[in-house]
Amino acid sequence: MVAPLYTTASGLLFHAGKILVITVGLPARGKTHISRALERYLRWMGVKTIVVSLGDYRRKLLGSGQQLPPDYFTLGEKSEETLKLRQMVSDGCEKMIWDFFETGQVVIYDANNGTRQARHRVAEKFDKAGIHVIMLESLCDNKEIIEANIRGVKISSPDYRGWDQDKAVQDYYRRIEDHEKYYEPVEENTWPSIRILNVGEKIMVYKIVGYLQSRIVFFLMNIHNRQRTIYFARSGQSLIEHSYKADSDLSPAGWEYAERLKEFVVERRAKSLEQRGLSPDDRKLVIWTSTRRRAYHTAWPFLYDVLPPNSPASFQTTHPLASSTLPEGENTLPPPPSNPSKSYTPALNVKVIEKPQMAEINPGIWDGLSPDQARKYYPQDWERFVRDPYSFRAPRAESYHDLSVRVEPILIELEREQEDLLIIGHASVIRCMLAYLIGLPASEIPAIEIARGDLLEVVPASYGVHSQAFHFWDGPGRHGDEANNISTRDENNFYENYAEDTKGKKFTTTQEPAASLSVIEAV
Amino acid sequence: MQSLSSPSPTVSEGLARAADALQIMQNSGELAPVVTISEAVSPNIPPALFGAGGPMLKKFDVESTMTSRKGSTAPTPPPAVKGIGKKVAKPDYSESKIVVAMVGLPARGKSYLSNKLMIYLNWLEYDVTVFNVGQLRRSKARQKAQQLGIKEDHTASFFSHENVEATQSRDSLAQESLETLIQWLKDGGNVGIHDATNSTRSRRAKIEARIAQEKGMSLIFLESICDDPAVIAANVALKVSQGDPDYKDMSREDAKRDFLRRIKEYEKIYETITEPHLSYVRIVNVGEEVTLSRIHGYLSSRIAYYLMNLHIKPRSIYLSRHGESQYNVEGKIGGDSLLSPRGMQYAKALPALVTESVGDQTLTVWTSTLKRTIQTAQYLPYTKLTWKSLDELDAGVCDGMTYEEIEKQYPDDFANRDDDKFNYRYRGGESYRDVVIRLEPVIMELERQENILIVGHQAILRCLYAYFHSFPQADLPYIKIPLHTVIKLTPRAYGCDEARFALPIEAVDTHRPKPGTADKPSESSNTTQRKYFAEHEQPRMHAPVPKKDI
Repeated sequence: MVAPLYTTASGLLFHAGKILVITVGLPARGKTHISRALERYLRWMGVKTIVVSLGDYRRKLLGSGQQLPPDYFTLGEKSEETLKLRQMVSDGCEKMIWDFFETGQVVIYDANNGTRQARHRVAEKFDKAGIHVIMLESLCDNKEIIEANIRGVKISSPDYRGWDQDKAVQDYYRRIEDHEKYYEPVEENTWPSIRILNVGEKIMVYKIVGYLQSRIVFFLMNIHNRQRTIYFARSGQSLIEHSYKADSDLSPAGWEYAERLKEFVVERRAKSLEQRGLSPDDRKLVIWTSTRRRAYHTAWPFLYDVLPPNSPASFQTTHPLASSTLPEGENTLPPPPSNPSKSYTPALNVKVIEKPQMAEINPGIWDGLSPDQARKYYPQDWERFVRDPYSFRAPRAESYHDLSVRVEPILIELEREQEDLLIIGHASVIRCMLAYLIGLPASEIPAIEIARGDLLEVVPASYGVHSQAFHFWDGPGRHGDEANNISTRDENNFYENYAEDTKGKKFTTTQEPAASLSVIEAV
Repeated sequence: MQSLSSPSPTVSEGLARAADALQIMQNSGELAPVVTISEAVSPNIPPALFGAGGPMLKKFDVESTMTSRKGSTAPTPPPAVKGIGKKVAKPDYSESKIVVAMVGLPARGKSYLSNKLMIYLNWLEYDVTVFNVGQLRRSKARQKAQQLGIKEDHTASFFSHENVEATQSRDSLAQESLETLIQWLKDGGNVGIHDATNSTRSRRAKIEARIAQEKGMSLIFLESICDDPAVIAANVALKVSQGDPDYKDMSREDAKRDFLRRIKEYEKIYETITEPHLSYVRIVNVGEEVTLSRIHGYLSSRIAYYLMNLHIKPRSIYLSRHGESQYNVEGKIGGDSLLSPRGMQYAKALPALVTESVGDQTLTVWTSTLKRTIQTAQYLPYTKLTWKSLDELDAGVCDGMTYEEIEKQYPDDFANRDDDKFNYRYRGGESYRDVVIRLEPVIMELERQENILIVGHQAILRCLYAYFHSFPQADLPYIKIPLHTVIKLTPRAYGCDEARFALPIEAVDTHRPKPGTADKPSESSNTTQRKYFAEHEQPRMHAPVPKKDI
């Protein structure tokens, strides 16, 4: 399914036409990293995209590098056999590209394309067929990035299976050296181009026009490779879970959840920073919430100190005044109390930002209805919703597709953010964001299970993300405990909680926070 | 803290109470009348459970306030929810402090770019000011002429780098302007645009060194290169014809000749940005080629992306509300009703009007996903795109009510919204600010597009219109966008030309002026003239504010 910014009467998406992105760059310049990130982004936006990797295809067709003729990777004069093999590989790739364009929209051709002649030859062929061609060059003059790339990615490839590490690195450098002699950077200005230096340090854009093309540039402008962690947690339970309009307060359990969440995040983060040799004081924690009360109130304990355990209940004394002493429009959380003697916990290095784009999926006319009522009043809509919960939009409601479009600017910000991030959100919004980060197909978005009481930890890595889930809380508002057949969640909140009814894809949870940390998704 | 593996007795009790409150309300039949009435009209319209029109919301707020607080040990709990909305403070942008220093020869569109950037960022509520060195020079010269009777020579020779005295004078002006800018940022500004030629490496190095002394400020150079003779010629003509005070007493021909000489003087020493350590955006021929170097930070990347999407091809943007809807006739807000008979008349008349104005150029029509805009656009013979982002401002719990009903049910809230409409967020709905944020991708796409007709809604079109005419936020919710009227905006170098075509089909007036103020017209004056401030004391250039008292 597809999440374009807008739809047309004919159902056509993006009037950008078909696009061939030809990567250009010496080996180990991060071409594959950039290609895969771009593929993930475009797919999430609903654009049919693939990466055609010449290296992968060659290995599939001819086996690993060790079985190839010795002159295969050296440039210059080549034996007839080598030329034949090379031709076979590139013909095969091109055929894959043509095949994909039958129905697909964007192909990223991941190969070196280091000479003008080589890339021009490919570009011309596809240009003649009305396909927009973009050269995407990845340059790198930072030796550390190159070395890290070789050690981290290249020598673990099947070409070097069984090799001694340092020897493999040396061999790889030799391979690059040969390429360097013949390499011609994209300076010819024949085709529209995007040239990236040192993973985003500098970006040069030439003649890029079109909606999708400019989104590609904006995306590439925002990616970076600083290590950071992204946490996701649901907001606490609210008094009326199933009404979007009522925008109700947290329930007592919701408040309790909020405090427990803070404790757990602080604890978990301290551990993970320690593993990286950092202290929590070094890195700021940025918290994003929606502008819904249940979400930004869940962030409340991060900004306001909590009374120590067993202290006289503050509730009676503060509550009657609560609504009158605080100013109207408290929406932007005021800074933590300035009087240090009143602090019970050390001030956290946090910043809370409320984002209107992160409100939960809008149920439209189904607001406040139970599933039975929805079925009764809107039988046809209900049927279509159940059949395709991703793309069906109930009257006045948002589909997951609409939600994805709404959240898109947030994803770009998420790519750009360099600090650790905690997203306190709604299940529907977290689903969209996770699907993007992990690279799940759009149609699976509504069925991702996000349980209240789990903290999801996502660490972006060079070929995808590592993610883990930590279970830190049980109580009212958590999804049903299937083993004991107990359901404590709000049955009526069916639109937001649709996944939990589908028994769909489950985001596996570890039972004990600190125990066996299962890596759920390591692409 | 007690164990959290199972909820504490008090917590479960509280939750049970809240649930009970709900259950009692549902059982007691308070809901029933609504259901019955609705069902009598149409079996397919369910009760608006938590709308402000029914009794449930008020009752629930009373019942739930105590309950909600029980789980919290925070000494300063947030106030409980009640009513139908509240004012929301502007987000904190105080951390954003950016100096954008322009680089480029005269007549390369520097002022155009800085003006566009200012309008865009102002619309997003960043505090932006352009500090134009030329304006400062003119205002100083004027002072000098008045006080001392000395008339400085500001013809091309003043701009020659061989003219040592003038070069020093220009240097110190640039310096002074930069200092004013820095002070302004310190006083709370977000983006200060240093509009000068900054054409040499040494000048740029000086700026860099100066900004490096200021904590928390970042610096981006924005270079505009243009080698299209037609564009340069048009820029020169614009400069000469729009009343640049430097050429007040010259004939157009002389002025043009002198201005071209001035450009020549700059060209002699001009050095394009190649300094690898600087953060910069270089734009060639408005978007044809863009280089971004060391652009870090959220706002900087927004700025760069925005500039990348600009173009200067002639085009027009047409704005029209949907035809009069059934809800309009009944005085209700929100909803997803169909057009009234008069609204249908408008939909039928629209194609002739639009086609006549557009001629044989291409046009794309954008509508929202709501029935009334799709219906209004149905006869238009152009490509149509549907945007969810163009849906009307969500009035949350008040959706489907009349203003009178809201005022009767919630008099305090109603007054609150009138008091500060831009910042007021309907409960379970949106504020005007939320809409502006939602529309930001639409604006970005509008900048990239050519002829576009948007068939939209009142609040949506107010926000878009405010962008094109740079209206301040406080005035935005009161912009008049009448029904059955097409507004044609044609972007020019320093603003938009506007034409309105009102079709003679009657419609209700849905405009509510701010109570207590006279109902003044809020159409923008012509803002396409470049503002020269030499005649004023302030050498700054703020967003052209049409009328302060709207």
